[in-house]
Amino acid sequence: MAEQTTRASSRRSSASRKPKKNQIPFGVLVVVLIAVIAVWLNTHSQTVAFFWLTGCAFGFILQKGRFCFTASMRDPYLTGGTSLTRAVIIALAITTIGFTAIKYGYAQAGLAIPGMGYVVPISLATLVGAFMFGIGMVIAGGCASGTLMRVGEGFIMNTIALVFFIIGSLWGAHDFGWWKEHFISKGPSIFLPDVFGWMGAVLLQLLLLAALYIIAEQYEKKRGASH
Amino acid sequence: MEKSNTKFFDRVKKNEYYIKWLKNPFTYVTAAVLLSLFQIVTLAATKNPWGVSGTLAYWGAWIYQGLGGSVDKWYYFASSGAQSTLAAGILNHGESWRNFGIIAGALAATLLASGFKVKKIKSVRQIIAAVIGGLLMGYGARLAFGCNIGALYSGIASLSLSGWVFAVGMFFGAIVGSKLLVKFFM
Amino acid sequence: MKEVVLDCLGEACPVPLVKAQNKLNEMEVGDVLIVQLDHSCAMKNVPEWARKDGHNVEVEEVDDGEWEVIIEKTK
Repeated sequence: MAEQTTRASSRRSSASRKPKKNQIPFGVLVVVLIAVIAVWLNTHSQTVAFFWLTGCAFGFILQKGRFCFTASMRDPYLTGGTSLTRAVIIALAITTIGFTAIKYGYAQAGLAIPGMGYVVPISLATLVGAFMFGIGMVIAGGCASGTLMRVGEGFIMNTIALVFFIIGSLWGAHDFGWWKEHFISKGPSIFLPDVFGWMGAVLLQLLLLAALYIIAEQYEKKRGASH
Repeated sequence: MEKSNTKFFDRVKKNEYYIKWLKNPFTYVTAAVLLSLFQIVTLAATKNPWGVSGTLAYWGAWIYQGLGGSVDKWYYFASSGAQSTLAAGILNHGESWRNFGIIAGALAATLLASGFKVKKIKSVRQIIAAVIGGLLMGYGARLAFGCNIGALYSGIASLSLSGWVFAVGMFFGAIVGSKLLVKFFM
Repeated sequence: MKEVVLDCLGEACPVPLVKAQNKLNEMEVGDVLIVQLDHSCAMKNVPEWARKDGHNVEVEEVDDGEWEVIIEKTK
C-alpha cells in the first residue's frame, strides 16, 4: 500500500511543488481597507468606527491564536486535550478581574453598573439553549466567534453555517415569546456580588477557575498516560 | 517598481519579527490575554461586554424585512430599543460592524501570514453538518441570551451565575455533539 | 518502516486530529504518518497532540494555507 520512502524523499517531493505565492501584499491591502473603512465610519459615527476596530482586533487575535471555544469544550471529551480549555479559563479569570474593577468603580461612584444586561435570568431555557448551542458548534466546526473568523479564513462550510446561524437566530427570536412566558420569566437573574459581596464573588470565582484549571491539566495527564 | 515591491515582500517574509508576530500562530495563552484586554476595553468604552450572536438575530430580521416580512409583532423585537435598532439600520449598528470586523481581522491575519486558501466543501455531509449545526446554534443562542461569547465568556466575566449554567449546558452539548460528529459526520 | 499519507484536506476540526489519532494507533513504532491538512487550527492541534504523546513531529507548509504534519511513531 504505502511505498517505502524515507522522510528525506517525502520532503523533496513537497519542496518540488509550485513556488508559493506571497500573499503579504494582499494582507497589507486588507489592513489599509480596514483603516479606510474606519475613517469612513468615523465620519458618521465614532461609536460604530470603534466597534469596527475592536471587531478587527478580536478577529485578528482569534485567528492568530487559533482560539476556539468549541475545542475548549469538545477536546476534553473527544481527544483528551485541555490546552484550549485552560486558555479559556485564563481568559475568564483575567476578564473577570478587569470587568469587576470597572463595575466596582461605577458602583462606588453611585452610577449605574455597566454591562448588567449580560446578567440574565437562569431557567430551563438557559440549559436547553446552551445544550443546543454546544451540539451545534461541534457539528458545524465553529462557535459564534469561530464561525465568523473562519468565514474570514475562507471556509465555505463555515459560511453556510453562518447563513443557517442567522436563520436559526430568527427562528429562535420568533419563538422567544413562548420560552419567555413559560420559563425565562420565572427564572432569577443572579449577580454574584449581590450574594457574596464584591470581594467574595471575585475570590470565589477565581478559586473555582483555578480548581477547574488544575482538574483540566490533571485530567489531560491521566488520559495521556492511559493509552 | 512592481519588481522591487515583490522583492521587498519576499525580504519581509524572512524578517524575524514578521515571523514572530505575523507568520507563526500565537500561543493559546497569548491569545487569551489579548482577548481579555480587548474585552475590558470594550466594557470600559461601550458600557457593554462583547457579544456576537444577538446581532445575528438582527441580521435575520433585516433580511426577513427585506424579503417583505415583518417582525414588529414578535415579542423578541417588541421593545422600543429593538425597534429603534431595527429602524436605524445596519449602518448605524455598532455590533454588526464588530462582527464584520471579526471576519476582516481574521482575513487580514491569514493573508499577512500568507496562509489564505478557499476551503471548498468536501462532501454533502459537511453541508448537512453546517446547516444543522448553524440552526442549533442560532436557536439555542436566542433561548440562552447569547452564545459562547455573550452568554459564556461575557456572562461569567460579568459575575453572572447564568454564565456558569450556560457553561454546563454547553459542555454536555459538546459531548453529545462529539458523539454525533464521530458517528455521522466523519 | 512504512510511510502512510492521510489526506485531511478540506476536513474541519476535529476530524484531522481524530483521524490521525486512530491511524497512528494502528501503526508500528518507527512508521511515519503524514497528515495533509488545510485547516489552520488542525495545523496547531495535530502537532501539539503528537508532541505531547512523545512522537517526533515536523510541520511543513507545502502551499499557502496547506500543511503536512509528519509524525514518526516512537512508542
